[in-house]
Amino acid sequence: MQEMIKSLSELYGPAGREEAVAAYIRDVMSPLADEVYTDTMGSVVAVKRGSANGKKIMLAAHMDEIGVMITDIDEQGFLRFSNIGGISPFTLIGQRAEFADGTIGVFGFEKLDDIKDLKLNKMYIDIGAGSREEAIAKVNIGDSAVIHKECIIQGQRVIGKAMDDRVGCAVLIETARRLNNSPHEVYFVFTTQEEVGLRGARTAAYSIDPDYGIAVDVTLTGDTPEAHRMAVSLGKGAAVKVKDASVIAHPMVKDLLVSTAKAKGIPYQMEVLERGGTDAGSIHLIRSGVPTGAVSVPCRYIHTPGEMVDLGDVTACVDLLAGVLEEPWE
Amino acid sequence: MTGKDLLRALSGGKGVSGYESDLVPLLSQSFAPLADEIKEDSLGNLVMLRRGTGSEPRSKIMLAAHMDEIGLVITGYEPGGFLRFANIGGIDDRVLLAQEVIVHGRKDLVGVIGAKPPHIQEPDEQDKTVKMNDLFIDVGLDDETVKQLVEIGDMATIAQQPVELQNQRHAGKALDDRAGVVVMQLCLEILSKLSHSADVYAVATVQEEVGLRGAVVSTYGIVPDIGIAIDVGHGDIPGVPAYDTLPLGKGPGIAYGPQVHPKLYQRLTELAKEWSVPYNVEPSTSPAGTDAYAIQITQHGIPTALISLPLRYMHTAVETLDWSDLEAAARLLALFICSVDSEFVEGLQCF
Repeated sequence: MQEMIKSLSELYGPAGREEAVAAYIRDVMSPLADEVYTDTMGSVVAVKRGSANGKKIMLAAHMDEIGVMITDIDEQGFLRFSNIGGISPFTLIGQRAEFADGTIGVFGFEKLDDIKDLKLNKMYIDIGAGSREEAIAKVNIGDSAVIHKECIIQGQRVIGKAMDDRVGCAVLIETARRLNNSPHEVYFVFTTQEEVGLRGARTAAYSIDPDYGIAVDVTLTGDTPEAHRMAVSLGKGAAVKVKDASVIAHPMVKDLLVSTAKAKGIPYQMEVLERGGTDAGSIHLIRSGVPTGAVSVPCRYIHTPGEMVDLGDVTACVDLLAGVLEEPWE
Repeated sequence: MTGKDLLRALSGGKGVSGYESDLVPLLSQSFAPLADEIKEDSLGNLVMLRRGTGSEPRSKIMLAAHMDEIGLVITGYEPGGFLRFANIGGIDDRVLLAQEVIVHGRKDLVGVIGAKPPHIQEPDEQDKTVKMNDLFIDVGLDDETVKQLVEIGDMATIAQQPVELQNQRHAGKALDDRAGVVVMQLCLEILSKLSHSADVYAVATVQEEVGLRGAVVSTYGIVPDIGIAIDVGHGDIPGVPAYDTLPLGKGPGIAYGPQVHPKLYQRLTELAKEWSVPYNVEPSTSPAGTDAYAIQITQHGIPTALISLPLRYMHTAVETLDWSDLEAAARLLALFICSVDSEFVEGLQCF
């Protein structure tokens, strides 16, 4: 599990370019599911069939991560870029960029009178090219890059980029490995393009047409110095979503998650997220409506290269999902 | 149950976005004599079908008014048994201070919203709105008991029963948009005495205040030929130009703009003139903000109209409306529904 989270974290997969993550997940999921396929939008769908009278339940975790896209290359070979998803320029200072083919660059910025003036359009990527020609031999306009960062496991804590939401992907994989007794037809969906508007989940849910949905993603915490007030802490268990900006968790799904956690003694905490959204936002509005909830892995420093999660929380999420999928869902 | 009784019961009832199910028994009961079929869809929209007399396949007209209200959600505890909260939907921080609320925990608990008194405020605090982040709910319980009865994620509503002012004007919370739900009931009542060929789907939608979500899925499930949203529009008040508001007591607004099908607008205004139903034209340049927008862009696209009930002090606990506007809106909708035949519906396909 730890090694899997590390591998997933380090893979390249900005929104729209999730192929490497998809290939990894297809390999891992093939022996764990009855059927594995990739849909038109690139989402990986793994189906585990249940008994005849079960429900069709869709679990979703997104494979994509935030990143940058090259918009211009100047005569000296410096690359200008725009954001893919919510990226703050301050988190890029001192970081390395990684392209799909493994090319590495560093983030630089123009001389500024005040660092507060830092915007993405004052920044560039330097891949060490001496000229525009040399640069375009490696990188083209429209190519995407992600942060290059090693994933570190330190005791119970994992630190790395793209925990949002590769840790959710790991939770889904581990849940599939664990699940043997579900009456339900469970769709493990590894979605694309969440960071740019919950897009992969939307089309996947449309084609699967599930009875219920559960999104698995990271959520913010309020347990760091002078943090925004929020009653979620690292290490205190799986977070059961009440609401975020994209969804109000269906009361039936939320209550079933809570009662399962209580019955099985799984540590959990309630999550009221005042900003941000997740795949549940897309899933519940598909067709004539899908009752949908979400289980979140508490994560500090979201959308930075140092996203931090707790392995105990990850286990609690797996326990909770495996548990709830054995319930009758009526 | 009379329309006014229903208005009072709905206004005083609880149903924050996503948690509207408490209103369902009340609505099912009051619509039962008027509808052939009542069912909840998977997100909780209450769909009340009144069949028409036309030959099958009959045209489908969807009326939509949202039953959810803005509200509060508990986000945390403070030492001393106090509760922190956040908003569900567009809450104005300025109207929260010193309100009575009901926290819907394991049982309903009355509470008050408190903050630092004026005597002990810093000078720079005195001329500022107290932000929601600095407010808290006091239900009178100690730390331990409050945690047993209230969980993070429980909803809270403003404790406010509606009152009747002079001139058949009513003030209360959640009239946005439960007044629209009452209009649907009044409309079906009129239709029960008339003949209409189209099927009418009166839908009490959910989760409008957080993004028109109930209308998105209920419209998908129904796929009507015509959709009409009934919502509230800003009533006339001092300090706001008349062109931005609708006068109370002068009939509903008939919206005109990108989200309104021109032939529906034309038919509605013609009927209002012909039958002397008071109305005002409501220019509506932005399509977002009501269920009409969600209905219009569902599936292959739905010809849509929007009826606005004049309402003062929107998103406060003293939302104020004039009963005669509800009656006029219901009459106009009934006249419209009776006028719809298959020829008219076919005509909507070509501009």
